[in-house]
Amino acid sequence: MRSKVVRPALAGLFGVLCTPSVVQAGPAVQAEPGAEEAAVFVIRAAELHLRPGEVRENTSVLVRDGRILQIGADIAPPEGAQVIEGAVVCAAFIDPWSALGVDGPTLIDTSLVESARTSDALDFFEGDHLRAEALRAGVTAARLQAGFKGKNCGLGAVARLDPELDDPSAAVLLDDADLAMSVGLSVQRQASFQRMPDGSFQLVSGDAAMDVFDRIGAVDSVVSAIESGASYRKAEVEFRYELEEWEKAIAEKVEELEDDFKKAKKDRDKDIEEAEEKGKEFKEKKYKEDKKPRKPRFDADKAELARVAEGEIPLIVEVHRSAEIRKLLADTERFSRLRLVIAGGSEAGTCAEELARRRVPVIVWPSLRGTQAKDEFEGAKLSLAAELAEAGVEVLLGTGGRDGEATRDLPLLAQLAVGHGLDREAAFEALTLGAARTFDVADRLGSVEVGKDADLLVLDGPPLGPSTRVQYVFCGGRLAVTPQDQ
Amino acid sequence: MFNGLIVAALAFLPGEVDAPKPATLARTLAFRADVVYRGDGTSIDDGVILVKEGVITQVGSGLEIPEGAAIVDHDGAISAGLIALHSEDGAGAELYDSTRIVLAEAEARHAFAPEHADFDRALAAGITALVLAPSSSSLIGGQSAVVKTSGGRVVKPAAQLALSLSRDALHTNRFPTSYAGAIEELERRFGEPEGPVARAASGSLPVLIDVNDRAETLRAIGFAQRFGLKGALYGSYWAEEIAPQIAGSGLDVICTPFDVGDDSRSARAVVALAKEGVRLGFGLDAPERHPGSLRFGAAACVRAGLETAKARKALTGDAAAIAGVAGRIGRVARGLDADLVLWSGDPVALTSSIQAVYVDGELVHGGSK
Repeated sequence: MRSKVVRPALAGLFGVLCTPSVVQAGPAVQAEPGAEEAAVFVIRAAELHLRPGEVRENTSVLVRDGRILQIGADIAPPEGAQVIEGAVVCAAFIDPWSALGVDGPTLIDTSLVESARTSDALDFFEGDHLRAEALRAGVTAARLQAGFKGKNCGLGAVARLDPELDDPSAAVLLDDADLAMSVGLSVQRQASFQRMPDGSFQLVSGDAAMDVFDRIGAVDSVVSAIESGASYRKAEVEFRYELEEWEKAIAEKVEELEDDFKKAKKDRDKDIEEAEEKGKEFKEKKYKEDKKPRKPRFDADKAELARVAEGEIPLIVEVHRSAEIRKLLADTERFSRLRLVIAGGSEAGTCAEELARRRVPVIVWPSLRGTQAKDEFEGAKLSLAAELAEAGVEVLLGTGGRDGEATRDLPLLAQLAVGHGLDREAAFEALTLGAARTFDVADRLGSVEVGKDADLLVLDGPPLGPSTRVQYVFCGGRLAVTPQDQ
Repeated sequence: MFNGLIVAALAFLPGEVDAPKPATLARTLAFRADVVYRGDGTSIDDGVILVKEGVITQVGSGLEIPEGAAIVDHDGAISAGLIALHSEDGAGAELYDSTRIVLAEAEARHAFAPEHADFDRALAAGITALVLAPSSSSLIGGQSAVVKTSGGRVVKPAAQLALSLSRDALHTNRFPTSYAGAIEELERRFGEPEGPVARAASGSLPVLIDVNDRAETLRAIGFAQRFGLKGALYGSYWAEEIAPQIAGSGLDVICTPFDVGDDSRSARAVVALAKEGVRLGFGLDAPERHPGSLRFGAAACVRAGLETAKARKALTGDAAAIAGVAGRIGRVARGLDADLVLWSGDPVALTSSIQAVYVDGELVHGGSK
C-alpha cells in the first residue's frame, strides 16, 4: 500500500494540479507551544503497532506540538492538519549504544571520571548527513556515551538525532541517563619493533589484549567504585540523621539552660572573676552539643556512584569475556538496588541463566568481525542475541558506541540478529520500548501512546521486514523524512 | 574398482578435478522448496531440483521424482551457493609476494589450503565457492583460482590475470613508485606479451584489475581499452560518478566489500553501476572480513535501491560468469554442480537464516533431518 498525503482544506482546488506530497508552509520548524503555525498531523495507519505485541488495524494517531494527543479509529483532522496514510505505523527506533555526535577526542578519552558528562562533548553542528541517514533508516534517538576505551565512560546522554537540532540543549532528552564503565577492553599499546616469522622486523602498534589479572582487577575496580558510592550515600544519610538529632539536642539543651539562665549567668560571671584574680585564662564551659556534625565533603564522582548504587540511574558495563561477566554478577549481587546493564557481553551466553535470574539486560552488538578482531571479541557470535533471549534475558540491540556512522545500520544489524535466531518481535521491542525503558525515557519514547513524544515511523511493510521501506519519519513531532527524501 | 580407474584417469586432466568424488554422490537427490532462485534473475515457485552424482539434472516445478531418490523437502527458499569474487581464505600471507612486482605465471591455487577453518566459516555464511586472488601489491600478481569451500576442489586454476593499478602496487623503496611508472611497465609487458600476459592480451584470459578511486579506475579502463582486454575491475567505492565510463569499457565490476557504517556512497555506487547495466559481483577479502559481509553488502545495496533480483544474481550467476565458471557453478540449472543453499527466506534478506548447504550434492553444513 502506498502512503500518501492529503490536505483536506485545499484538496479540491489543488488536487488536480499538484502531485500528492506533503505541503508545508515554509521550512519545517520545531513547534513551540503557543506558536501560530503549530505542526498538526493525523496519521492513518492500516496497521498501528502501539507497542511490541499490540497491533491495531485501521487506527489513526493525532500529533500536535510534538506529542501524541489522540489514538482512535476515527479522528477528524483539525483545521490545518496534514493527513498521512500509511500501511504500517510504529514507534521510531532507538540506538541504545551509539557515538553519533560525540566529539572525537572525547570518545577515545581514557581518563574520564564518573561525573564527566557526555552532553558536554556533543557536537551537533557536524555530521548532519549522518543524522539524516540515521533518521531515514528509522532511528530517531540514541544513547550517547563518551570515552568508550577507558575504565570510566562518564554519564551518558539520550538525545534526538534530528539534524535540525544543532543545540544539544534542544536535542538532549536526558543528560544523565546512565553511568558507564568498561572492563577488559584491549589497551593502547606503544608502537614497538617486533620480529616477524620470516626474520624481518616490523613496527607494530595498535591495541593489545589486557592480561587476565588486569581484567579481574578491572572488575574489582568497578565493584569498589559502586561500594564507594554506597558508602558516600550512607555517610550523607547518616549526616542528615545526625544533624537532625543534633539540632533537636541543641533545642532541648537551650530550653534546659533557659530555665537556669540566671543561675548559670551568675556562675559564669563568678568563674570569669576567679580566673582574672588568679591570672588564669577563662575557659568557656564546653557542652557535648557544641560539636556540630561535620558534613561529608562533596565528591562529584562519588555522588554519581551513589546514584548508581541506589539504582537511581543504571550502570552500563561493557564486558565481554565469560570470567569477567561471572565475577561482575557475583560481586554486585549485594547491591540490591543496583540496576546493572551489560554492554557487549560477547561470551554472555555462558551465563545466560544467571543474567536472566538477576534481570540484567544485555545490549548486544551484532557485528561482522573478521580474524583481525580484538581479543575480547573472540567469543562473539551472531547468534548471541537469540541465545540470550531464549534464556529469558532482556536483549537490547546497539551499534557498539565507537563509530557514529554505524547507527544508521541499526535496523540491518537487527535483521542480522533475526537471521541468526532472534525472534522478530523481540528485536522490535529491543529497538523501541526496551531501549526506552532501560534508559528511563519510556515516558517519552518507545511506543505509540497518548502523551508520549511523536517519534514515529510510517512504513510500507512490517518493522524490520526484509523489504520494508521507511516512508515517513516523525522526530519529536517534526515530519523529518518523506518519501521524496529517500 | 572400475570407478576407481575412471576417477584416477580423471585426476590427470589438467587442473579440472583435484580430488576424487566420494561414492556417496552416486545417489539421486530431489529438493523441493517454496521458491527456487535460479541465479539468473528468475525464480520458480514450488520448485523441484533433481541431482545425480553431485550434478543438477533437472529444475522445474511439478517434476516427477525418480524412484529411490532421497527427498529433501524444504520449507523456504533454495538458491545456488554464493560466490565471493575476491578472497584470501586459508591463504595466510601466501598470496603476497614482496620480492617481485611481476609474477604472471604464479598461480593462486598453490595457496589453496582446503582444510583451513576459514572455509568452514565461509560455508556457514552460504559461500560455496570463492576466488583466491593474488595481493594488490604486485603489478602483475599472477593468476587467480576459483575454489570450492568444501571438498577441496579447484573449479578453475587459472581464472583471471591479476593486475594492480591501485596505489597498493606503488612503493617508496622499489619500482614502481608512481602511476606513470606502473603503466609504462604494464604497457611494455603487454606490448611484447608472453605466457599468461599473452593469453590476457588475446582475450582468452580475463583480467582482474585492482583499483581504489576514480582516477585509478579511469586509468585501468584506458589501459584495458588500449589492449582490448576483457575482465573485471575490483573496486567500486568511487564508481558513482564514472558509472557510464565503466559501462562503456565492457568491464565487469567486483564490488568493494561492505562494512557496517560505510559511507552511503559505496552502496550508491553499486546502484549506479547496476543502472548502467554493468555486470556485478561482490568481493569479500575474508578472513580479515567476516564472510557475512557478502550478504550484508547485498542488503545495503538493496536498501540503497538495487533490485533484489539483481542483488541475487550478483551473489550467484553473475559472479560465476565474471570468474569464468558460468558453466560449472552459480546457477540452479541442468549440468551445473549441485552447490545449493537452503534458506528460511530470500537469500538477500538478512532476516533469512541458512538451514543447509550442499556442495557437489553433498550436505556439508546444517540440515538436521
